[in-house]
Amino acid sequence: MKQVELELQTTPPPYKTAQLIELWCAEPVFFASRELSDTYYTEGTIGNYALAYALGWARSPYRLLGKATGRPTYLEDLTPLAGQRYILPAWPVATSASFRFERFNALSDSYWYAMTNNRVAIARDDLPLKRTGKKPNTFRPSNFPQTGRLRMIERGNRFQTIAFGDGELPEYIRVGKFMSKVKVEIVKTVDVIAQPPGEYNCHAYLNSADLTSGLGLLSFDLISIPPASLLKNLRFSGSAWQVGDYTLPANLEFCGGRNHG
Amino acid sequence: MFIEKLQPFLATSYENFPKGRTIGAVVLRTTQSETIFRTEGTGEPMCSEYVQAGVADTATIPRLVMTKRKQIAPERRKGREFLRVHELLYPDPKGNSICSLNTNAPCEMCVDCFLYGFAAGGEGAQKSRVWTEDAFSVLPSTELIGDRTINAIFETGTMRDEEGKASTALNTSEYIKPGVHFLDIVTFKDVTADELRYALGNVLLTTRYGAVSSRVGRMENQILGIFGGIAELPSSLELVQGIYDKLATDQREHPLNTGVLIAATQNVISTWTSKRGISVQLSATELDELIADVDRHLSIDDQASFLKRLSESYEPMRKVKAASKKKGKGKEQEA
Ligand SMILES: [Zn+2]
Repeated sequence: MKQVELELQTTPPPYKTAQLIELWCAEPVFFASRELSDTYYTEGTIGNYALAYALGWARSPYRLLGKATGRPTYLEDLTPLAGQRYILPAWPVATSASFRFERFNALSDSYWYAMTNNRVAIARDDLPLKRTGKKPNTFRPSNFPQTGRLRMIERGNRFQTIAFGDGELPEYIRVGKFMSKVKVEIVKTVDVIAQPPGEYNCHAYLNSADLTSGLGLLSFDLISIPPASLLKNLRFSGSAWQVGDYTLPANLEFCGGRNHG
Repeated sequence: MFIEKLQPFLATSYENFPKGRTIGAVVLRTTQSETIFRTEGTGEPMCSEYVQAGVADTATIPRLVMTKRKQIAPERRKGREFLRVHELLYPDPKGNSICSLNTNAPCEMCVDCFLYGFAAGGEGAQKSRVWTEDAFSVLPSTELIGDRTINAIFETGTMRDEEGKASTALNTSEYIKPGVHFLDIVTFKDVTADELRYALGNVLLTTRYGAVSSRVGRMENQILGIFGGIAELPSSLELVQGIYDKLATDQREHPLNTGVLIAATQNVISTWTSKRGISVQLSATELDELIADVDRHLSIDDQASFLKRLSESYEPMRKVKAASKKKGKGKEQEA
């Protein structure tokens, strides 16, 4: 009797195989995860939504008009991938990622500048115009920061992640605000095996928005980044997927599959 | 010929949705004069970074770095010079000024705005379709940096004052020597043939980089390889590492023979079409033909009609933008 129940609850995963992947940062990587005073901090991870776009699984237009300018379209772009493709947020291979700080300066190579309305004016020619009461172009207020510091993931860092589905992956991708080049190496292909409900520890990073609703979260560490917080060292109760050496909560999908079903 | 070979990876007209068509260019940048690339900010040392020497040679060496930002700004400015001459830069949406770089007022209409993108400042945003990468020197930076000591000379015209005391006012300034080779990869995404010509023209015709000055920073750019595919080429770091491995120990000295360097580069990149997603490489003849074609389109005689044709190719998109603006205004009135 008991065995029948177990079988009912252990539905086969939509993915037969998954690829264990290593990512090598050929360039420093920057995401504006956190802002403290004039410093913008990148966390030691690469988010899975960023990876899905970088791998070419979803595409957003080059030109954004009107309202689309400020609104991400993760639901529209990523939920159609349900059952075909999924990728976890990437975690550092070493105990933690290493970082470097860089100043950014919208005028680094200019001889002359002046602070004006939240921006740095760089064109000296504009001074006479200003004296006559006109508002020259380079003096108008800016809605993006002109100077500050960036904490970036250093060149050479290595991350790991798991991509579900058996489609081919590009060898190089671009991630982050500065389109940094990252090399994609497939370590091995492993089977995805359903595990019955129980209590498990997960050693991979997970996106909190991608977990299935019935999952019991017993304990975890939170990495707070946009667009959705990540969980690490998760202990959970529920069905699981065994993927190589990793035990993951079952039924992971972008945005928890909220757009369908 | 080259155009037929690259056709599957070129767009026929500007399209707003990425299709993954990728052209990769291998660029050799050689300093022709003393050059200064400092890290951001003042008083910083020359840009260099400790990286693995080769792919096989795992020793760590410092390499000069020409950051992606140091490349793209002068190259965009070059193209904009042409656009300005032919009056193809538009006023910004508020009509205050003509499109300009590094300010808050992109016109959102010109060739540069469509190809290299602009941040959400005015009414929209455009992602760049030209992706650069940090360029690295092949040789260790210790070989490539010169030091100039500036002595403060007294009124007597000597290094000693009237009482015979030596001047202590010494100042040193670092510079990158002439004849230093940087290599890098430039990626073009979903560009049309004319956009490719324009962007390659900007790379080939830009001759000055780094700290603003009239006498330093001369650089010559050469295209050593063009690839087409649906994926990106290896990184510039892996490229210089591959080249470093191919150089004999006694060749790893400044000045590095350009012919030797080009041969080593061709040797490394010839294996790249076996990589995932990279389909074709132009042959030496096709590459020459492409560069001649770029030169022809940007020649004095053909420049005006070429740039006008390129600018007009965005007309349908400009109409979409105008319509969306109108619609937006209508909604505001309703509310
Ligand atoms: Zn413009």
